[in-house]
Amino acid sequence: MLRVKRRTIVAFLLPMLVMMAVINLWPILYTLYLSTTNYSEFNSDNYRFIGLENYRQLLFSLDSDFFPVLWQTLLYVVVCLVCFLIVGMLTALALNNPRIKGLPFWRVILLLPWAAPSGITALIWKFLFQYDFGPLNQIGRLFFGQQFGIPWLLNPTLAFIAVVIVNVWLSYPFFTVVILGALQSIPGELREAARIDGAGPWQYFRHVTLPLVTPALIPAAILSAITTFQMFNTVFLITQGGPVVSALKPGATEFVMIYMYNRILGASVANPHYGFIAAFSITLFALLAALTYLGSGLGTRLPELSGFREART
Amino acid sequence: MSQKLPTAALEKQPAAFRTPARERAKRLQGRRAVAGLGTRLGLVGVYAFLVVMTIFALFPFYYVVQASFAGAQNLYTTDLHLFPAHFTFANYLTAFTQEPLLNWIGNTLLVCGLTALCGLVCSTSGAYALARFRFAGRELTLRALLTLQAFPGLLALTAYYLLLNALHLLNNLLGLVLIYSAGAIVFCCWNTKTYLDALPIELEQAALVDGATPFQAFWHIVLPLATPALAVAALFTFMTGWNEFALANLVLNANANGSNLTFILGLYSLQSDFRTPWGIFAAASVIVSLPLMVIFFFAQRYFRSGLAQGGLAN
Repeated sequence: MLRVKRRTIVAFLLPMLVMMAVINLWPILYTLYLSTTNYSEFNSDNYRFIGLENYRQLLFSLDSDFFPVLWQTLLYVVVCLVCFLIVGMLTALALNNPRIKGLPFWRVILLLPWAAPSGITALIWKFLFQYDFGPLNQIGRLFFGQQFGIPWLLNPTLAFIAVVIVNVWLSYPFFTVVILGALQSIPGELREAARIDGAGPWQYFRHVTLPLVTPALIPAAILSAITTFQMFNTVFLITQGGPVVSALKPGATEFVMIYMYNRILGASVANPHYGFIAAFSITLFALLAALTYLGSGLGTRLPELSGFREART
Repeated sequence: MSQKLPTAALEKQPAAFRTPARERAKRLQGRRAVAGLGTRLGLVGVYAFLVVMTIFALFPFYYVVQASFAGAQNLYTTDLHLFPAHFTFANYLTAFTQEPLLNWIGNTLLVCGLTALCGLVCSTSGAYALARFRFAGRELTLRALLTLQAFPGLLALTAYYLLLNALHLLNNLLGLVLIYSAGAIVFCCWNTKTYLDALPIELEQAALVDGATPFQAFWHIVLPLATPALAVAALFTFMTGWNEFALANLVLNANANGSNLTFILGLYSLQSDFRTPWGIFAAASVIVSLPLMVIFFFAQRYFRSGLAQGGLAN
């Protein structure tokens, strides 16, 4: 700690605080304000304060899309996380196996998706999923004949699976790195001791590896849950939130951020209800902030870790 | 193999002990043989898994690279082509000559570069104050930073639109820089602050005792020492900008030939064409991804050490 004059402290802090007030704080406060009005495209000149009406409509109205979209998003988060953990764990175990030849080579290859710019790879994956010319269906035709074709992005369930696959492709290297780091810090004597005590490979994994890796996994998992929950780019670039089955229901991959975006900028929306969407945003923010506090409460350093992961969200 | 040793030792046991010991050794050997077979099978399994994962990890890269060298007859077909039948550079030429690829790259470099710069300039002195000074409201600021970190800019879409409209920065790259800076400042501040927390304070104290002003201590002592953390923060900010689509799409409206877009918007507009020019798309993707991936791989170690010192290590 340095003892300095108050003036100095203010001078050091000022640029950051001013900038943050304008571009961080003001937009949030303004969104909060909007969420209590009936502001929409059609009444942008004479909108008025309506209290918590938007929130009531969002949370308690029967035709509100909030809960369907939220469940859909949570399902996506859970499915993705399970896949991340399984694929990340298996790859890390394989890369930690001293009997495997050429480990540095495998490591570079398996971590390659991490280095790729995610926006571009999302568009590449969209190409791979294409029905007629996409290589995935072309491979299928090699085995199952010309009429074969999986409607990857046209069928709701398949589109959901497709965006899970892409997210797994993008995110498993992060888990591989985190788990591999934890595995390499397990002292070799433990393996020896477990072997002498007669533990089989599964028992060793279950009772030695897993408990020792978990502390490193929890922050990574929370962080990934948060980033997947608010995922926009990758999914939007592939499906735009579709496919839409009925005009009344959100699309199968219309997760929270995409839903919000489509309700404001979507081509089919004539009269965006900014006030209502602001209430949606604020509710989501409350959820995200709660998750972040939960994460930091677990003794983790989410902001730094998120930087570590950031390059690829 | 060391496994043979115990059995050999057992043979030398006196006769009286031999039977049970031998029995035990035999059973042990049998179990070991099974385990050995299991390990070998397991090893084959691990290799098989690695090969499958390699295909999964590399296929998108491979396919897009070969597609960038293939002619249209290879791409608009329902049959699989894993090698270009007629190797051609035409897609690369077209990407550079007919599409405003260089403009997109230039715009993206400008936006990301300015965002990183703005993030660092606005946050570094603040991060220093949070790390080194104690004052009323410090805890509150830290807590606010943590909360803001959880706020994706996308949530304030309407507010940002109105803000840029008021500042006459809509459809302007600087408007995009301003919005991106919101996230950049928070991230840069937090990363730098944790890095400085771990940096010894004695040098600055000595400088102050010798009559330096706090600003001189910050400028001449702390900034040079904090370079790794600043570089990491800048790189992350830079790379986040490369991939951002939603806010860019909000701020920028394509002009007649789309030369005012950022790279990801341009690539997206290529794909949403009525007849997607896959070959050109593939060539454009390769041109931009390759340098980024090379940078990432060379910077990776540096990344990790910069962040580790910034508090990631546990």
